[in-house]
This record gives sequence, C-alpha cells and structure tokens, in this order.
Amino acid sequence: MASERNELTMPSTGRAARAQHLLKGKTWSDRDLKAKIFIFSAALLIMAATVALTVFLIVKGLHSFLIDGISVIEMFVAGEWNPNANPPSFGALPLLFGSFAVTLLSVAIATPIALGTAIFMTEIAKKRGQKLMRPVMELLVGIPSVVYGFIGLTVIVPFIRDHLGGIGFGLLAAGIVLGIMILPTVTTVAADAFQSVPNHLREASLALGATRWQTIYRVVVPAALPSVLTAVILGMARAFGEALAVQMVIGNTAQIPHSLTEPAATLTTMITSSLGETTYGSLQNDALWSLGLILLAMSYLFILVIRFLSYRRRSS
Amino acid sequence: MNAKVTDRLATLCFILCAAITAGTLFSLLGYIVFQGVSHIDWHFLTADASTFQAGGGIKNQLWNSFYMLLMTMFFSVPLGIAGGIYLAEYARPNKITAFLRSCVEVLASLPSIIVGMFGMLLFVNTFHWGYSVLSGALALTIFNLPVIIRVTEDALAAVARDQKEASFALGATHWQTIRTVLLPAAFPGLLTGIILSVGRVFGESAALLFTAGLSTPNLNFGDWNPMSPQSPINPFRSAETLSVHIWAVNTNGIIPDAKIVAAGSSAVLVIVVLLFNIIARLVGALIEKRWSGK
Amino acid sequence: MYVLTLEKEKRIVQPNPEAMETELKVNNLNVFYGSNHAVKNVSMEIKKHAITALIGPSGCGKSTFLRSINRMNDLIPGAVCKGEILYEGINLLDASVDVVSLRKEIGMLFQKPNPFPKSIFDNVTHGLKCAGIRKKDVLENAVEESLKLAGLWDETKDRLKHSALSLSGGQQQRLCLARALAMKPKVLLLDEPTSALDPVSTAKIEELLMSLKKRITIVIVTHNMQQAARIADQTAFFYEGTLVEFGNTRDLFENPTHTRTKSYISGQFG
Repeated sequence: MASERNELTMPSTGRAARAQHLLKGKTWSDRDLKAKIFIFSAALLIMAATVALTVFLIVKGLHSFLIDGISVIEMFVAGEWNPNANPPSFGALPLLFGSFAVTLLSVAIATPIALGTAIFMTEIAKKRGQKLMRPVMELLVGIPSVVYGFIGLTVIVPFIRDHLGGIGFGLLAAGIVLGIMILPTVTTVAADAFQSVPNHLREASLALGATRWQTIYRVVVPAALPSVLTAVILGMARAFGEALAVQMVIGNTAQIPHSLTEPAATLTTMITSSLGETTYGSLQNDALWSLGLILLAMSYLFILVIRFLSYRRRSS
Repeated sequence: MNAKVTDRLATLCFILCAAITAGTLFSLLGYIVFQGVSHIDWHFLTADASTFQAGGGIKNQLWNSFYMLLMTMFFSVPLGIAGGIYLAEYARPNKITAFLRSCVEVLASLPSIIVGMFGMLLFVNTFHWGYSVLSGALALTIFNLPVIIRVTEDALAAVARDQKEASFALGATHWQTIRTVLLPAAFPGLLTGIILSVGRVFGESAALLFTAGLSTPNLNFGDWNPMSPQSPINPFRSAETLSVHIWAVNTNGIIPDAKIVAAGSSAVLVIVVLLFNIIARLVGALIEKRWSGK
Repeated sequence: MYVLTLEKEKRIVQPNPEAMETELKVNNLNVFYGSNHAVKNVSMEIKKHAITALIGPSGCGKSTFLRSINRMNDLIPGAVCKGEILYEGINLLDASVDVVSLRKEIGMLFQKPNPFPKSIFDNVTHGLKCAGIRKKDVLENAVEESLKLAGLWDETKDRLKHSALSLSGGQQQRLCLARALAMKPKVLLLDEPTSALDPVSTAKIEELLMSLKKRITIVIVTHNMQQAARIADQTAFFYEGTLVEFGNTRDLFENPTHTRTKSYISGQFG
C-alpha cells in the first residue's frame, strides 16, 4: 500500500513509464466496485419489490373473476355482500360506498380546521405559530393508528351513542377518527403551500389598503390553491387506505346506511375482518383479494392525481 | 360588515382552528397517558397475556414489537440508505431513475394494509414462512424503505457541494467520498430521520395482521436457540406485536378486562413513540452542536 | 509591507520563464456546459515550476479552464471538454485517464476554504488514507511536513485533534493547502484562493506559493490583478471564453498588445 506513495515521490524516470499510472486499470478500487454493486442492487430490489407487489396483487385479485367466475359487473353494482349465503353474493357496492363516504366525511371534517391551522401558522403567528405547531403536527402523525381507533372506541363511539342515538358505531365515528388522523397531513402540506406564496404578493395587497383577511382570501389562498388541493388529496388517500382504526369504530355491517350513525363497512374493514378468517384459496377468500385489487387501483389513482397536480403546478 | 371587524373575526377563527388542533393533540396524549398509566405496573409489563381471564400482561407482545423492530431496521436501514445514495449520487437523469423515483413514491403512498396483503401472498404463502417474525419484518421493511430512502437522499443533498469537490480534488474515489465525507456530514439528519421512522414502525399494525399473525407461542425466555419453536428469537414463529394486540383485544378479545389491557398497551405504545420522537430531536441537536466545532 | 518588496527583489533574479520546461500543453481546448460554450479554442503552454496566473472578468471561462485540467468538470452533468491537455505525454481529457490517480497528482485549492468537519489531523490525512496509506507514523510525518509547508504547524501542532472548523478563515485555507500538499502533487490548481481572505492571510498564502513553486507547478485563477503582478511568472488574460493574451507577467502588464487587455488591467471593466 505504501508503495503507491513512494511512486508519487519518485524522481521522474522517463516520460512514457511515468505517465502510465494515470491510465485506467492501475488503481482500480475493489471497494468502490463492491459498494457500487450493493447500491445498484438495492435500487434494483426497490424497483423489483414495487413491481412484484403490484403484479402479485393484480393476479391474485383477478383470480375470483377469471377462475371462480364472479361477475365483475355484479361486484360493482350489486348491493349485497354475503359470501357465506347460498348462493353467495359479492356485491361490493356497500363497501365502496362506505369507503367513499368515510373518506369524504373525514376530509369535510379535517379540511376547514387544517386550512385554518395552516393559515394561523403562516399568516397570523408566523414565527411562534411554526415553532409551536410543527412539533404538534409531528407528534400527531406519530401516534399509531390503533391508538386512534382505541380512542374512537372508548370516547367517540359512546359519545355518539349517548348524544345522537343509535349504537354509536358507524360512518360518523369513522369519519371523526379519520378526520383527526389526516389533520396533521393536510395541515403540514397546506402550510408549506401557503409559505411558498411569495411575500411581494402579500405586500402588494396590503399596500393597496387590503386587510389581512382580504389579503389571505383574495391573494394567498388563490395563489396556493393547487398545492392546497394536493394536501386535501393526500389526506383523502390516507383516509381511504386506513384499515384498523376504521374497523374498530364503523360497526362492520355491509350495508348502505340510511344515516351517519348507522353501522357500515368499507373495503379495508371488510379485508381486515375477514381475510384471516377465510380459508386461503376459497371463493370467499378470493373475493377479498378482489377488494384488495380495487383498493390498490384506487391508491394508484390517488398517486396519479397527485402527480398530475404537481406536474401542472411545476409547468405553470 | 366593516372590513376591520371581518378581519378581526377571521383572525379569531384561525386562532380557534390552531387551538382545536393543538387541543386535540394534548387531549389525545393526556387521555391515553393518564388513562393508561394507572394500569401499567411491573406485573403488566412482565406477565403473559391472558386468553380469557382478567389480569393478563403484555410481556410477549412487548418483546415481539422490539424484536420485529430490530429485524425491520436491520433490513430497511442498509437497503434504504443504499437506495438514497443511489438517488442522490449515482442516478443519472434517465428513464430508469424516473421509474425508481415513481417506485419509491408508490411504496410511500400505498396503504399499509396493501403492504400486509402483499406480505401474506409472498412471504407467508409463496415462501411458506407462515405467520412469522420474518414475514412481518419484511412487510415492515417495504413499509419503512421509502422513508429511509427519502431521509438519506435529503440529508445527502443538503451536504455542501464544496465538501464533495474538496474530497474529489484530493484523489478520493466516489465511494471514498461518500463514505468518508458525505455520509458523516449527512449523519445528524440521517440519524434523526431513522429514529423518527423507528417510532412509525413500532406503532404499525395493519401490515402485520396478515404477516406476523395474531398469536404468539408460549415463549420460553430461557431458550435462546433460534430454531426452537418456543424461543423468543426464532424468526419463523408467529408474533403478535403490541399494536396488533390493542386491535385484537378490542375486536376479537374475550377477556373481561380488554379495555384495561388496551388502555395500558396504548399508553406504553404512545410513550415509546414519544420517547423515540424526543430522542430523535435531542440526538439531532446534540450532534449538530458538536460538529459545528464548539 | 515588507513581504511585497521582498518579492519584487526576488523577481529580478528570476530566470526568463520562456526558457523553462513545459508542464502542461493545452491544444484547442473547448468546454461546453450544455449549449453554453464556456471555453473557446484555448491553446497555451504552462511552464514547469512556475506560477501561471489566469485573469479576466467574471464568467470569462478562467475557472472552467482550470477545472478541466484536473477533470473536476466531470462532476457537472452536461459538461463536455474537447481538445487536448498534454501532461507527461498523455492527454488528460482522454477517456482512458483514471481521474482518481490524476487528481492525486494535480491538486486543487478552492475559492472558499472548505475543510471537512473533522479534526485538523483527519483533514490533512484524508487524501492519503483514500490512497490506501494506513501506517500511523507515515501519516503523522506527512501531517507535520504538510502543515510546515503550509506555514500552519506552529499554530496547530498542539491541537491536531481539534475540529478544523475552529480555525480562522485564513488558517482554514492554509489547512486546505496543507491537505493538498500532503498528496505531494506535481501541479497545484488554485481557484481564487484568497478572495475570501483578509489582506494579512492573503499575503501569507502568496508568500507560501512563492516558496512552493520550487517544487510544484502552480496555476492560479485570480480576480486580483495586483496579486497576479506580484506572484506570477506568466499571466493569461481570458475574455468571454477566449484566451486574449498570454505571456510573461511583466510584458503583459507593462506592454499589453490587445486593447481589451489594456483596458482590463487599467481597471476600465471587470
């Protein structure tokens, strides 16, 4: 090893011989190659895992349609999910309805509060608001989803039962739990959006004699709107895919409820409740994998929408 | 209405929103910790879980959570750092890189139950590992990878370019520069991000339901042979973690004190996650201070 | 200041640069950053064991020219170098050149002091360790020797384990110099090394360069024309990517042949 250094300090002994060490092959580093191989394989593995995940779930999810002969149309339009009946019925409409209903409900609950909080952080109490609220957001994100579910079960469900009637389990309880869960996501992304609105726009508005509120709703919010939309969609994606917390409070009845306080079920709650209970490879089990496929497709749709929004934002 | 009055009212609204958000967090934490702490004692932490009687503990669940966490980190930290290094240092602006970025984005946005379902298909059923610590840890690895990759890429990108040039100008190879200059400089950010991800992994449950299972064999803490079915470190045994336990006692449980066990477990879970959060901040601040030469 | 008068006296006894051996022979060098033609058809001969200064207004291509010698432009995506830089009989721009070995032999000092956030000792040994040298006594000797050459030994010998960031700006730049010297380079490239330093630190660096040129070929990019006049044997004036004028420093400053050179050194633009 030390010879390399000696070589560098050696007196020049003729040009052709001395220049040779600058050419490739002489100081090829074994370690560099090994590190590179590891890093490139990791990158490859990440891509392979994503592709495998998608392909495996698609193939398994199509099984019920292609092999078991469940009708795709029936799954999307029939109103009854009862795999154990004779003959079994696989109408996922109530589950789809449940998924969309709790998602929209949670967004409706979280968005106003999230936007208000984000505006508080970026427009009202700029420095202290950030310093106080950012850690609050990080902690809220950090609380595990089963803990949210448990709180829903022990606080929100009894509250609804006592004050609004019914058994307490249902869309409303699920919507509230999900609303709290997506609150930090929507708030953080929206706050970033408001923050990236250039200051000269605010100053121009204030200089024209507009109040702070007028500046916020006429200048800041419109300028940040595409990013705020991204924030809301991110929240929706998280709400749509959440499983255990919803499963604990929604009541798990595959029906289209007539009111917010009636029990319901979603794609994720049906998978959560039944996937482990049914025999792998059975008709009942395969149908659940098809629900998983719908969930996967929806997740990809959310990703595409978010991509589209950020693409438009960058190009405009 | 007067514009000034409207302005005041609007401001009041925003303050109210922030108060609701902060209030929600503090009442959540307060409720969980104060409800649960009274149920946490030495017995609760060290006793076996009970199947149908009251008075069960969470010893095995707690052990499973930490064991699975360790194994997940063992897989996901090197892989994730390598992925982050690839994106920050080796990736050329081409289609493969764009595809890899999309993959990371997809993995980061997929619901964790989807990850769990994939784990069930691949590890549990195709590889025949069954409901096991290994299947669970690998599912959690997929869940955690995108976080580590992003943390690494961001931390590396934040290292000043002149540091990299200085190392290259001294005849260091690319990998030597990454290992001796870039990674050390990125270390505080990297460590903070990894500790935060530890909290997230510790609390995850949906990805484990169908990979690690809802039960734990009768563990014998005197048996450390990894092949023995009752060994705590056997990677091929099923393992219910603490967060899965909270869900299971509430939905499937028949123990009479399910609420008490769940409250105690939730408190333990939240306290551990909070601890990781605080440690991450302290460690980040400490290293930053030491490295700035003071 | 006494240092400066000393240098002036020295120059009188210097040999004629044109009689010296050539270290780097640049033929028709062109550098492109994407569509930006940053260096246009530059040819020049850089003399061995002399100081060559590159001057010119900002964005004239002098730094780009410097960075193509040790292939630092390879790090910039989309940068393309065409032409020849002959050194020891080989073209440094050739694909067969191992840039790692090349940079061990052609060192570089940057505009802003950029020590690593490590100890002084670790900074100096970075390049050596990367070259595979592990023996403690070899490393210790190299640290002492390089720090002495960089005039930093007396100030740092008692605190080699301290963070390099605890040094002052001028000390940091000399540490970076020591770090480069530890590799025993044949050529040293300096990219405006004193632009971030105070006059005293600048004078120290200039003094060091004058003593180093006995064993090292030095190419320095500078904004400061007095600096070029003080230390350089030869000076090249760049303007908008082209080499306008190149010759012995005294000739270039006293009798510039091009009007643009004349107006630049008389301070009419830049």
